[in-house]
Amino acid sequence: MTVATEISDQLLRLPEASAVALRLKSEQYFDAIQGMLDLFAAKKDLNVIYITSTVPSQSIINALEVLEVPMDHIWFIDCISQIMMSTEKRHAHAISVESPTMLENLMLKVEFVLRKNPDRNALVVLDSINSLAIHNNTKILSEFLHILVNNLRSRGAYSVIFSMQEYETDEIRNMLVLVSDEILELSES
Amino acid sequence: MPSKERDAVSERERCVTGIEGIDHILNGGIPRGNTVLVSGSVGTGKTSICIEFLIRGALEAENSLYLSVTEPTDKLLKNVIPYDFFDEKLIKQGKLQFLDLPKIYEKLGIDKDELSFEEGRLLVDTIVGLVEENHIRRLVLDSATSVAYRLKEQERIRDFLLRLGMMLSAKNCTSLLVAETGHNGEMYSRWGVEEALADGVIVTGNLERRGDLLRTLQVVKMRGTPHSRAKYVLDLTTSGVLLVPLLKGGSVAGGA
Repeated sequence: MTVATEISDQLLRLPEASAVALRLKSEQYFDAIQGMLDLFAAKKDLNVIYITSTVPSQSIINALEVLEVPMDHIWFIDCISQIMMSTEKRHAHAISVESPTMLENLMLKVEFVLRKNPDRNALVVLDSINSLAIHNNTKILSEFLHILVNNLRSRGAYSVIFSMQEYETDEIRNMLVLVSDEILELSES
Repeated sequence: MPSKERDAVSERERCVTGIEGIDHILNGGIPRGNTVLVSGSVGTGKTSICIEFLIRGALEAENSLYLSVTEPTDKLLKNVIPYDFFDEKLIKQGKLQFLDLPKIYEKLGIDKDELSFEEGRLLVDTIVGLVEENHIRRLVLDSATSVAYRLKEQERIRDFLLRLGMMLSAKNCTSLLVAETGHNGEMYSRWGVEEALADGVIVTGNLERRGDLLRTLQVVKMRGTPHSRAKYVLDLTTSGVLLVPLLKGGSVAGGA
């Protein structure tokens, strides 16, 4: 079983409105994205809201294009391109937030995309807790996750929080335990 | 608050603004007939909030009127966010009306910079007349500060606002009066009398946190309803004004 199918299968077993922490190794990163966006979200007819603070949205979009994943139901909230002063052209489905420290604005953009696309249930991916932790202290980050996840839960949306195992700290692990219904790990492949 | 009094308060009819975040903060909307000061410095979203309030009202068949003092209506409409829910038919059907106050001054023969006590009263009567004639349920005066500049003296400003508020309330018209403030945020209005006379005060502002500038909104006063007094962060979008709670975990400059 590939990483992509494994993650899709694990997510399919969960009820709607689940909040999941996904502990990943770096080499599993792009396969995990494919599993969630191409397999899981497509099977469940979900809109995907992908919050990226790790790599610019355009890098992920480029990878998705190579994999021929349709972008019709995927939106990006990108809080890293602006801070990098990236001059790359922004995709029509990518919304920029000035900085990863503007956590309230991340929530506002999620709300905006949800309102604009009320026709389907949503999967909100947060990539990643580790990169947000570079820019924010644990207190404000916990508060952010708590509000965001509970808001999504009340709307029946799935939330998946990426955590790169190599960069996890005890504080991050505690935070994930606090807000998640499930903590998933993928098998060694 | 004693429970009897609280029950009486909760029974007041609401003017549901249609701005979900604000209605949530106010436990269902602005008590019908209240005069609310929307106060803040430039670029904080006051006009956008007011225009959304009027459009949402017009969509619910509540006739709405925007009185513009400083900016001509056609210029204002061009600059307003192209809201998804805005329908030009509302203007054609007269449910949403825009009027430039300088045109009213002209009609009334007011050509001096300074308004006398009597001219202030005449202006109130004219506005209330418009409300009555057009069955207006929602009114925005943008801005009360500009009118107050022409009234100049505190006594005249007080009389204008008090009379306007009372007469609009008697007509069951819920009104938002825009007040422009400086950047220091020490007062909610330029003269200090506006906030004392209004039934409610909604303050918009800019909050700097570690180099980020966030637009904020806080309801500091609203007669007739229990409400949150917490600070919220707002975003002006094509779907309307969106609000989320201000996160408190971070360091905040200026003790805001």
